Parts: sequence; structure tokens; C-alpha cells
Amino acid sequence: MRTNLVLELQDVPGQLVGVLGPIGTLGANIVTVIHQRDIKTDKGMVPVQITIEGDQNTLDVVLKKLKELNIQVMAVDGIVLKEKITTILIGNIVDRDVKDTMDTINSLEGVQVADLELKLSENNQDSSTKIVVEAEYGNRDMVMDKIEEIADIKEFKVISEV
Amino acid sequence: MRICLMGFGAVGQGVARVISMKNDYLNNKYGLDLKLVAVTDTSGSAISQDGLDVDLLLETKALTGKVCKYPEFGIPDLKNSKTMDMVDYDVLLEVTPTNIEDAQPAKSLIIKALEDKKHVVTSNKGPLALFYKELMSLARENNVQFKYEASVGGAMPIINFAHDTLPGCEIESILGILNGTTNFILSRMTREGSSYEHTLQEAQVLGIAETDPTQDVEGTDAACKTVILANSILGTDFTLEDVKVEGISHITSEAIALAKKDGYLIKLIAEVSPYSLSVSPRLVKEDSPYAVDGTLNMATLKTDLADEVTVVGLGAGSLETASAILSDLVNIWKKL
Ligand SMILES: NC(=O)c1ccc[n+]([C@@H]2O[C@H](COP(=O)([O-])OP(=O)(O)OC[C@H]3O[C@@H](n4cnc5c(N)ncnc54)[C@H](OP(=O)(O)O)[C@@H]3O)[C@@H](O)[C@H]2O)c1
Repeated sequence: MRTNLVLELQDVPGQLVGVLGPIGTLGANIVTVIHQRDIKTDKGMVPVQITIEGDQNTLDVVLKKLKELNIQVMAVDGIVLKEKITTILIGNIVDRDVKDTMDTINSLEGVQVADLELKLSENNQDSSTKIVVEAEYGNRDMVMDKIEEIADIKEFKVISEV
Repeated sequence: MRICLMGFGAVGQGVARVISMKNDYLNNKYGLDLKLVAVTDTSGSAISQDGLDVDLLLETKALTGKVCKYPEFGIPDLKNSKTMDMVDYDVLLEVTPTNIEDAQPAKSLIIKALEDKKHVVTSNKGPLALFYKELMSLARENNVQFKYEASVGGAMPIINFAHDTLPGCEIESILGILNGTTNFILSRMTREGSSYEHTLQEAQVLGIAETDPTQDVEGTDAACKTVILANSILGTDFTLEDVKVEGISHITSEAIALAKKDGYLIKLIAEVSPYSLSVSPRLVKEDSPYAVDGTLNMATLKTDLADEVTVVGLGAGSLETASAILSDLVNIWKKL
């Protein structure tokens, strides 16, 4: 069985070897490595695609090892494990405490506000805020529920991604 | 095939023009001769068992605004079910205004036709969004065909497409833009950076938005369509009150600008799943299938076998809507 993994590595010498070494010792056969240093993720990291061969058990052990090494797995077989969630809120954002909105989102596990931009309109009532949240794969619904909850209390309209 | 046409507005006249344009073509290709035996509007009816002259009918309506002024065969004040009783017909073509309170007069007309064992074609969302199940079982009981392609997405093929072109696929969900007026307004706000109020006025001047735009801009029109798609394609039993609806009247040019900066557009998106129906403004990627411009409609069907399939087309217009009605008529004819 072959599995494609996309890992997020720091763009410093030795990082790649530091990851491939431990994977090899776990019995997984590394078939290909695609290391494109010219592509950078938002945080200035480099995505590295590796294909490994081994049974399900081997794959599980590899994923566990990567977690131990604190290596972020961005995708397994094309499925993104970390994603950005963009939302626009319309309402009286300023009066309703922007910081509190951010703190509430940041308090969720594995979730972080990566970007926030405000655009005031003539009427404060319908100012707009864009919030970009970075969350581990699988947390989208939880994040959206939280944002809806905040919006309900603070009377914001939520425009969410399709 | 003899047609009894109820309603002679934009859509009804579009159908008459299509019959005038296409009768030879339909005859040669399918052996189908469409004959208009009765037409009604609010003035009354025109009835001729031998078939009305569609060009003369269009001319009469254009000149007088009344079909009852049709030479010789016009009958003032004769309307609705009384008209249906006066002629022999094969298909009731119901294109009266949408009424989302009680779906009348369309509902009664459709029921009467089905009970009289006539096939029915409609472009009217009202009866379908409120009484889908009831009408469908009535059609089945009476062994007649009931078709409504034009009720969702105008010329965009979706209902017959899902049933006839993807018959082996299970459709898991549908996501789409089902209202041309709001898509026009949002597209224009994105391009011009203009305010909602200003853009709505512009759309009204262009005749794209109605004088009372409520049903479009508050999402009700799209909500009716989600109900029709869910019941017809996903096999659910929803009605209009099951839809979570939010319109576009609170969308500001600032929100659109913020979205645009990150490569997003704001679109009024209808979401149809077996568990819930919703209509709300959403962010879509600029390079995605949802990024259709102007009055276009689109829908992406998520299927079990074919993954995602997307259709796009004009959501309204006289001839465009008539084209969907014509597909229904031809399909009925083919199955006779
Ligand atoms: N226009 C589109 O592009 C489009 C697209 C898809 C679906 N639809 C649906 O198709 C239907 C017809 O649309 P339309 O644009 O043709 O509407 P329309 O231009 O307003 O025409 C409605 C027609 O129905 C007649 N009428 C009005 N009230 C009636 C009543 N109580 N009983 C019998 N007839 C009555 C009108 O008579 P008068 O001529 O005397 O006023 C008119 O001829 C609507 O349900 C609409 O939602 C329209």
C-alpha cells in the first residue's frame, strides 16, 4: 500500500533528513520525496511530499512518530489535515469587542486566528470583519459553530465559505 | 398534442413564440405537433378546438393586452377551471404567477387537470414548494406525467438532468446559485464597488429586479427552489418552512471588498441536503464553479459515482424558460 503524505517542514538544512531517517527505521519504504523549496506555506514553511510504502499498521506508526517529532502533516493522500477557514462578519464589530471575539476563537484547541481585517462603513452597524482561522483538519464544523455562537450573541451576520 | 395554457405573461408568450418558431422542427424530428387549444389571462380566454393561431394570439396580446380580444374565439371573463372544462386537451401548461401563501390558483388548476387524467407541465414554484408530495401522488394515482423543469433555474437543466441523465447515481447533495436577480446584484456590486441600495435600483431599472424585489433579495425564491430540488432529486419531504433563509439586503460593498482581497466572491448559495435546506450569502473562490456572473444560475450535484457534476445556465427569460417547458413537453410526448 502506498500513501502520499505532505509534511510542513522548516526551510533549514537537515530538516528533511531528520524526518526521513526515523520513518525509514520504522519499516516504511520511502518511494519518492518531492521537496520544492520555492513554494512556501503561510508561515514560511516548505511543503514536502513523500510517498511511503507499507501496511496500514506501518502508516499508523509513521504518523504517530511524526506527531512526536512535532512535524505538521498537511495532507494524507490528498486530504488536507490543516486548513484555513475564512469568514466575514457584518455587524457592529467595534462596539462588540473585537479582542474578545478573537480570544474566544483562539481558546479552541488546535485553532488559531491567523488574520483579521476590519473595514468600517459609514454606518457602524454594518461594518465588516474578515477572520481567517487556521485549524487542524476536521475542526471546521467546530470552528464554524463557535463563530455562529459568537455572532448570535453579538448580532453579527456570518458569511461562511462554501 | 393539445395544450391548454393557463397564464399568458412572459413565460406563456415565450411558449407561444417557441411553438411558432419550432413546430416544423418538432414535427420533423419527433412527429410532434403542438396545438394551443386554449389560453387564459386575467381578461378571459381564447379557445379553439382546432388550435389557435399563435402569431395572431401574440399580436392580439401585444396590441390589446387581453387574450379575450382574439378574433372570433375570444371569451371575456371565462377563466381558470371553467376554461379547462370547455376544451379537450392533453396537457395543462400552468404558468400563472407564483403564490407562496396558498399556491392558488395554480394548485386547484393542477389538481383538476391531474384528476381529469391530463398531463401537467408548470414553471410555477408555489404549488411545488408547498404541496409537492400531494401533487406527485395525485399524478401517480391518475397515471399521468407531471413535469416542472422550468420551476428551478429557468433554462438551466437540472431536474430532468438528475433524473434522466444521471439515473444510476445517487445525488447526495446540491449546492448552487438559484436566483438570477441576486446574482446580478452581487456580481455588479463586486465589479463596481457600488452599494446594495444603488445596485438594486439599477437592477430594477433594467427590469432584472421587480418593483417589489422582496422574494428575490430576501431569498424566498431560492428557498422555494431548494424545496423542489430536495423533494424531487433527493427524495425528501420538505416544505418551504423547513428552509433556513437569509437574503442579501445586508451585504455591504465593504464586505465584498474584503472577500475580493482574498480571492473570494460573495454569492447567495442554496444548499440542499437530505437533512437540511438553507439559503444564505456565502464565500466562494473566484476560480470555482460557483463564480458565475450576472443573472446566470448554477448548481453542483454531489453524486456517489460521478463525484461532482456542475450545470450552468440562464435562470430566467421568456424564451429561455420556454425552452425548459418545451423539454418537458417533448419528454411527455416521447413517453406517450
Ligand atoms: N419569467 C421568468 O423568467 C420565469 C422563469 C421561471 C419560472 N417562472 C414562473 O413562471 C410563472 C409565470 O411567470 P411570468 O414571468 O410569465 O409571469 P407574468 O409575466 O406575471 O404572467 C402571469 C400571467 O398569468 C396571468 N394571471 C395573473 N393572475 C392570474 C390568475 N389569478 N389566474 C389566471 N391567470 C392569472 C396574467 O394575466 P395578465 O396577462 O392579464 O396580467 C399573466 O398572463 C410564474 O410562476 C413564475 O414564477 C418565470
